[in-house]
Amino acid sequence: MELHIRDVSKTYPNGVQALKDVTLTIPAGMYGLLGPNGAGKSTLMRILATLQEPDAGTVHLGDLDVVRQKDEVRKTLGYLPQEFGVYPRVSAEELLDHFAILKGIPGKKARRKVVEALLRQTNLWEVRRQKLGGYSGGMRQRFGVAVALLGNPRLLIVDEPTAGLDPAERVRFLNLLSELGENSAVILSTHIVEDVSELCTRMAIIDRGEILLEAEPLGAIEEMRGKIWRSVIEKSALPEVERAHAVISTKLLAGRTVVHVHADAAPGPGFAAAEPDLEDVYFATMAGHIGRRRERAAVPA
Amino acid sequence: MKFREIFRFELAYQARRLSTWLYFALLAVVAFLFVRGSYLADALYADFFLNSPFVIASTTVFVGLFWFLLAAPVAGELAARDVATGMHPLTYTAPVPKAAYLGGRFLAALVLNALLLLAVPLGIMLAVYASGVDPEIVGPFRPAAYLTAYGFLALPNAFVGTAIQFAWAALGRRAIASYVGSVLLFFVAYGGMIILGIFVGRQDLAALLDVFGHIFITSDAVLGWTPIEKSTRLIELEGPLLRSRLMWIGVALGTLAFTYGRFRFAHHAPGPWWSRITRRRDAHAPTPAGVDVARTAPISVPEVRRTFGFAAYARQTLAITWTSFRVIAKSRGGLVLLAGIALIAVRVLQENMESLGTPLLPRTEYVLTFLTAPLTSFLTPWVIIPLLIVLYAGELVWREREAGLGEITDAAPVPEWVLFLGKFLGLGLILAAWMAILTVAGVLIQASMGYDRFEFGLYLKVLFGLQLPEYLLFAVLALVVQGVVNQKYLGHLLALVAYACILFAARLGIGHNLLVYGSAPHWSYTDMRGFGATLGPWLWFMLYWAAWALLLVMAARLLWVRGMETGPRARLQLARGRFTRPTAGIAAAAAGLVLSLGGFIFYNTNVLNEYVTPSERLERGAEYERRYGRFANVPQPRLAGTRLRVEIHPRRREVEIRGTYLLVNGTAAPIDSIHVATTAGVQTGAVTFDRAAARVLADDDLGHRIYALREPLRPGDSLRLGFTVNVEPRGFRNSGVSRAVAANSSFFTNDFLPAIGYQRARELFKPGERRAHGLAARRMFPSLADAGADVTGEAGRDFTGAGRVAFEAVVGTDADQVAVAPGALRRTWTQGGRRYFHYATDAPIGNELRFFSARYAVHREVWNPPADAGRPVAIEVYHHPRHAANLGRILRSVRASLDHNTRAFGPYPHAYIRLVENPGSGMGAHADATTIDYTEGFSRFNPGDDPKALDMPFAVMAHEMAHQWGVPYAHAEGAPLLSESFAWYAAMGVVEETHGREHLERLRRFFRQPTPIPPIRQSVPLLRAMDPFAAYRKGPAALFALGEYMGEERVNLAWRRLIETHRSGAPPGATTLDLYRELQAVTPDSLRYLLHDLFAANTFWELETERASAKQTAAGAWQVTLRVNARKVTVNPAGVETEVRMDEWIPVGVFAPSGQQGPEFGETLYLRGHRIRSGAQTITVTVPKKPSDAGIDPYLVLIDLERFDNVEEVDVES
Repeated sequence: MELHIRDVSKTYPNGVQALKDVTLTIPAGMYGLLGPNGAGKSTLMRILATLQEPDAGTVHLGDLDVVRQKDEVRKTLGYLPQEFGVYPRVSAEELLDHFAILKGIPGKKARRKVVEALLRQTNLWEVRRQKLGGYSGGMRQRFGVAVALLGNPRLLIVDEPTAGLDPAERVRFLNLLSELGENSAVILSTHIVEDVSELCTRMAIIDRGEILLEAEPLGAIEEMRGKIWRSVIEKSALPEVERAHAVISTKLLAGRTVVHVHADAAPGPGFAAAEPDLEDVYFATMAGHIGRRRERAAVPA
Repeated sequence: MKFREIFRFELAYQARRLSTWLYFALLAVVAFLFVRGSYLADALYADFFLNSPFVIASTTVFVGLFWFLLAAPVAGELAARDVATGMHPLTYTAPVPKAAYLGGRFLAALVLNALLLLAVPLGIMLAVYASGVDPEIVGPFRPAAYLTAYGFLALPNAFVGTAIQFAWAALGRRAIASYVGSVLLFFVAYGGMIILGIFVGRQDLAALLDVFGHIFITSDAVLGWTPIEKSTRLIELEGPLLRSRLMWIGVALGTLAFTYGRFRFAHHAPGPWWSRITRRRDAHAPTPAGVDVARTAPISVPEVRRTFGFAAYARQTLAITWTSFRVIAKSRGGLVLLAGIALIAVRVLQENMESLGTPLLPRTEYVLTFLTAPLTSFLTPWVIIPLLIVLYAGELVWREREAGLGEITDAAPVPEWVLFLGKFLGLGLILAAWMAILTVAGVLIQASMGYDRFEFGLYLKVLFGLQLPEYLLFAVLALVVQGVVNQKYLGHLLALVAYACILFAARLGIGHNLLVYGSAPHWSYTDMRGFGATLGPWLWFMLYWAAWALLLVMAARLLWVRGMETGPRARLQLARGRFTRPTAGIAAAAAGLVLSLGGFIFYNTNVLNEYVTPSERLERGAEYERRYGRFANVPQPRLAGTRLRVEIHPRRREVEIRGTYLLVNGTAAPIDSIHVATTAGVQTGAVTFDRAAARVLADDDLGHRIYALREPLRPGDSLRLGFTVNVEPRGFRNSGVSRAVAANSSFFTNDFLPAIGYQRARELFKPGERRAHGLAARRMFPSLADAGADVTGEAGRDFTGAGRVAFEAVVGTDADQVAVAPGALRRTWTQGGRRYFHYATDAPIGNELRFFSARYAVHREVWNPPADAGRPVAIEVYHHPRHAANLGRILRSVRASLDHNTRAFGPYPHAYIRLVENPGSGMGAHADATTIDYTEGFSRFNPGDDPKALDMPFAVMAHEMAHQWGVPYAHAEGAPLLSESFAWYAAMGVVEETHGREHLERLRRFFRQPTPIPPIRQSVPLLRAMDPFAAYRKGPAALFALGEYMGEERVNLAWRRLIETHRSGAPPGATTLDLYRELQAVTPDSLRYLLHDLFAANTFWELETERASAKQTAAGAWQVTLRVNARKVTVNPAGVETEVRMDEWIPVGVFAPSGQQGPEFGETLYLRGHRIRSGAQTITVTVPKKPSDAGIDPYLVLIDLERFDNVEEVDVES
């Protein structure tokens, strides 16, 4: 089951254009939507989750029209919003059971099995009787996943799921997601590059409402090979390096500054070839060295 | 400094909010509407200024009520915003002292609310000075009027309200809790006021609970103001108003102190309030096994099939219902609150299940009247339930979104209708639970009072079958409003405004039930009548509103907010998408139902029956007078005899009457035309005469016909007039159905019958109404000076004392019912499956006829008079079989009255006396000649066996019995002295003779209480007075005082002579002047002054014992010295007091200790008349034993309104 997004645009009443002609095709498997804060990821996710209307464009899940046939889409949808709360005075088991009914699992026995499996899966079984108000952020996030997974959704939308998780929880969570990707289309929006690089078979980079790059992470990294150069400099030298080279990222390492530069050939002394990773892809795309931004810059020239 | 910054910031923050200004505008609009809607017409009619202090104060109070409920979130927001927005970790950790934090915010809330309430004077001024007001009724601008209302009413209200709202929100950590606080205070104060003031009659206690000034403004003290006072008098902070202000400010301060004490700058661990008790041990969540995380855990969620059919949707609905129910039930404002309210209700009702100081039987029908109230009624404590429904609806609609689960739930495969239905059913379950709680409360009240006839079926029918649907209708409205308005507090506000519109629609001139959501003609239930036919119309209206509710639900489904799209355009877009075939079908069906049910109802209320608005009714009265008033003084024959054939068909609710009147020309001139007044609502057929006559005019609209006699009726001659009247229900009216004829019991009067002559009683009588309709001012009653022959010349049924008729009737009814009419029962028989009763009077009776038919149980006995005192009297009591608790008391009273009155006033003029219970919810009794009827409620009196208790049913029945000796009186000023005052005076004699002096004192003490009939000081003398205080309190007291001074026998003799003179019933009727003459004849010269003071002047004695002291003499006796003040004044209707010089004999009494609690004195040591002059004086008497109390006029024989200062405790000097 593929998800086809065609020319979707969305402008908010305050004039912010959250999405501009977004066109994506999302196959089964894990799909990463990478972009900085405010890029339009959540808007796109909510449109896919039937909670928002695009101003223009179409979204199809298989032969379902996501905009028009909301009720049908919801029957196959799992959604984990970026932010959500819980009823503080209800236990996890109770609330999950409640959602199981809402998600169309009326049989008591089936429900009990599903709820138990999901609670065990998300490692909440031990605390299932505890009121949700006492849950930590990570537990709450896992509970959200359990809700999203109810009823084996064919389309799973997870919006910034790893924010606020501790490293161990994050890894566990990503594992959970990758398992899911085997059965359904899982769309993961994040601003953390590692989330995508570790999990996704396909990805898109989005910024200011535009898709800048749609690629397979491994292929994209491969294409960057030989184009990323690294140098360790003093901080005071940075302005000069920036003037002379296409710097895509800077990092601090033990008090000194590491710069990554995008160049087709070795930019000069002090630079060494670096093994590219997805982060380089991301920053190169954002800086307009590859992807749509570059294409657009190239056209008038 | 910090305090100031917090205050400044909050005030500025709130001033930027749209809602703040919205509240302000709304309050101004309400004030405007209130002045224009409620007072403009009154001011025009009643001659006070539209901008008078009275109007300004009333408006301030009523708009204050609105403010209190509508603007609750203002204080709530200020108290709980930090928690609601999640800011509290930042603000709580700032180095701000608690006092500055809470104080600054509270002060900001207070100032904000005080500023909001400035909208009231603004609205009033707009209403007064904007166009559309007659400048005649606008008085000079008086800042003091606005300032006193604002300062004495609005500001204290703002303080108390803000304090309570702030406290609830701050401690409840939720802004909406302020609303709960408001509703609760509203219930305690307003509900308590209503229960104590209206149901129980303790206005004094109610006045203390008067948090809003509501009682004050509606109290007699203010409503009794003259138009001039209303226009000019400023409200003053004194008396009950001051006391209630002080009490509530005290409560508010206490609440604030409590809040300060309890408030913590702390993270709030969620959990129910009882979690502190049942603390869980495993409060720590185990961390997930972090070590294994990298291991690939296979997803092993079992594959389940999801179904989305009807069954699944039903299951979803149930799940939402159940969680909705639980979340409200478990919340602080939920079942705990409801149970608490029910407990308060139980306590209050237990304490106060009494009337006229006498306990009542808590019969189920009666208890239910306290537990139910129509949705459209605001004079009930149960307004709290719709207010809570508004609260619950908001909580339910916003539940997911407030918890942050909105996106997840919205994305779940749940149709909107399931969401709505689930929430509605959840709320419905809460309401059903409330009904169950009420049932338990009702049974608890009954059981605790030793009553054990619990009618569970009736509870079920009334609470679940009748009350619950009305609440459910409102619940739909509240949910729809919250669902459509995508802003919680705005939704609240609009739902409250909708509720206010429902409550006050009639005041805004919308009287038709088809136009006010959820309104219907009220059903009624009494033991005798059952529901009668009142359920049908109620049900039709409810079905009609249910169809509307369905339509509303469909609208809500279309506009239900789901997802992030909340703009109006996007929502309309969504709505278009949701407008599917089934939706359209259901909406069309609902609309069809609305139209067809509405059409059917309209056909009933406006086509089959006439719908007359109150203003149309007034216009009709005016038109009647304009058209036919010129016949008022046309000589008409007197009704001398009535023969009727009455066929009652209880099950069909029909009555057919065929009748003949015997009319006698009692005037000195020939009469050539007969004027017949017919009654609206019944069909009066052809009127026939036993001589040639022609109909000249028949105006069935106004009910007036004129027949011209070919041969005039000569003086002294008589003629027979025949008529038929049909009473049959034609569907139902906007007000429901007539309860006169019902399957189980019927009760109607001769109002159905045509009357002779122009009916002055149909004229408008309020001066303002007359003026507004261009009618000349008229006296309400003929003055005594005019009370000559012309008074009785006004023939017709309305002037009951004017003539007496011979009456005979055959009444037919169902075979299992007993029909009762005036007259002795001559014969009863069964014919054609119906039972017939033939009644005929043995002596002429007043022309007030009452007819009854029901499955009566009949008690008969015979009273035998002492020798030479008339004939035996058959006593018959027709009562509901289950209402026999007071039968013994009633009969004892009847016999005692026959004994006493025969001796005192002459023989009873008939051979029978009949007591009939009539269906209805009242508690009153009514006397006609030979028949006393009492409303069902009278049988609820339950004085018990306490020998110290006042036997009220006995006294009331003695009063009604005394009416049988009443003198036929002319329709003129002072008439109540001849009827009601006489009846109570005679009843006092019966009570004393049967129960003794001490019991009589109990009755007199009850009479002196200001409830239910408050004293009136500014008035005319008794001979001319018409008000209830004169009739029921002062008149009997004056007659009693006269008896105390010159002997009861003399007073009785005067009455006996007056009664003798008028025995025949022939005109002219008696007036108070005739009584006065008879009294003068029996009064010794030495007491003429007293007779004059009591009856011919409006005199009050002001007798006071300042100090009483006692000293033992050498001989062992006690010398008692009293310092007394004496004053006597007359007061005229304008309130002008004139002191009258006093020099008269007044009893002085000294009493031994009584040895027990209560108002009774101990042994009388001394009681003798002393010569008392105006002013201070000292009296010294010697008594044999140690005295305890002493005073002047200790038994309050004279008319003295200050009843607690006559007697003082004696200081014993050693």
